[in-house]
Amino acid sequence: MWRSDGAVILTSSDRALQDDVIRALADAPYRASADWRRRGLADPDRLERYARFLARHFYYERIVQFFKYSRSLARVTARAPEVVLEGDGFAVLLPSVVLGSRETAQAVARLVVAHVAATRAPIPYLGDLLRYEEAMMLVEAGPRVWRETAKGEGGNGKGEPPQTVEGTVLLDLQYDLPAVLPQLLQPWTELPRAPEVPTQLLVARSPHGRVAVARSDAGIAAVVQLADGKRTLEQLAAGAGLPVGQLEATLQGLVELGAVRFSTGS
Amino acid sequence: MSNAELMVGAFYNPHLGAELARAEGIDHLAMADPPAATDPWWPAIRARYTLLLHDYLGQLSEPLDERSIARARALAELYGTPWVAEHFQCLHTADGAYNLNYVFPPLYTEEFLDRFVRNATALQARLDQPLVMENIPGFFDVAASQWPEPLWLRRFFEATEAGFLLDLPHVWLEAHYHDRKPEAWLAEFPLEHVVELHVAGVRDDRDLGGPWIAPAEPSDDMLAFAAYALRRCPRAKAVTFDAFSPSLTAEILLRSVERIREAL
Repeated sequence: MWRSDGAVILTSSDRALQDDVIRALADAPYRASADWRRRGLADPDRLERYARFLARHFYYERIVQFFKYSRSLARVTARAPEVVLEGDGFAVLLPSVVLGSRETAQAVARLVVAHVAATRAPIPYLGDLLRYEEAMMLVEAGPRVWRETAKGEGGNGKGEPPQTVEGTVLLDLQYDLPAVLPQLLQPWTELPRAPEVPTQLLVARSPHGRVAVARSDAGIAAVVQLADGKRTLEQLAAGAGLPVGQLEATLQGLVELGAVRFSTGS
Repeated sequence: MSNAELMVGAFYNPHLGAELARAEGIDHLAMADPPAATDPWWPAIRARYTLLLHDYLGQLSEPLDERSIARARALAELYGTPWVAEHFQCLHTADGAYNLNYVFPPLYTEEFLDRFVRNATALQARLDQPLVMENIPGFFDVAASQWPEPLWLRRFFEATEAGFLLDLPHVWLEAHYHDRKPEAWLAEFPLEHVVELHVAGVRDDRDLGGPWIAPAEPSDDMLAFAAYALRRCPRAKAVTFDAFSPSLTAEILLRSVERIREAL
């Protein structure tokens, strides 16, 4: 393709060119690179402004979604999570932001956690809650499947070794958070209380980006930790101390949650 | 069309469910997300309003897969929607590695026109309702685009016979950032295909250094622009206050719908 100034844009298709523009908007280091700049596809100042607008919008949506319980507590903590997007910490991050990456999700979540945790409000389970919300945001990050392919996803589970999906998180909490979370989103006058009961949760994401949480136990935790895409069902059952029949049922639940997939060998 | 036949509505914002369930003066609600299973107001909303499907179905630069089509059909049936809306957008890369999570227009080229015509035609064939497509604003131009946006849209609508969901603030913003008069820029769009119009407020954004869509009341100028546009859209059936945000208040939503109705 030729531009009016005589430069040649080397690209295989307009779709590939569009992908390049999308990447420039999403990936700040790429946007600053000589590779992108020499293409001269868009006014650099306008592109930078729009990319920063998109970054703030992208993480506003995620903070509102994943830190919704902390938002509900803001009338006690006086610390709304989304405020960090207007602060110096986020401004410092902007030159390294890659929308949707785990690294940027981690960095933004840390800003939120530090901001909310600095409250003086006595909320016994606040530490657990922030770890839970941070885990939700991290698990959601990463590339996703936008369209089904003919190959399907995750294999059929017949004979292939199961593998824990990258990003799946096991959380060990001091409080039984699932017992209190729904109450935080309802009208309340007195701070809802959480039972102080050690609780383990599994946080996982489907290939399409749906984040799900389930209570875990020692068997589930062992399967998640041991499923490396190499161990067979029998080896996994032995390692987790589960009968093969129970292991298969556990795996089925983990696959539906997005925590485990079956290797396809490719 | 007389104003009596024109529907004036808003977006369903679930955090305003209680207010919307008992509101007066709203003809329809556009649904940007499926109702949550825990939404206590959904049954009343569904029973009371005409609902317009305005979800993200998929970007039509690629064919929608069976899962997306099944989801679109299920939502259309759930809402009883008179038409199904999608956007002229291409916001994630083909490999899924990068996603802007915000509407972003395609390059206005022959190749993308062919992609959108082909994939919109395929989607129309699988829907029981007409498809309408919404224009998306560009804050900056990409040198590789071959056609002015209005001409590209005209060719799309002529090829597909889909309806046009004219987002007026998007037109207004493009005119603003290209130093053009909104009315002159609007005149280039294929207004004879418009089925629905979006009206919204704008607010200065510090990153953009100028106005952008915001969950705010439309200004008097924007309302006058809406009235001006509506007179040029002979097939328009609905005008929707386009605000969908956790920060939107019931007061702003209700007053905006009232002011839109008065302006038209």
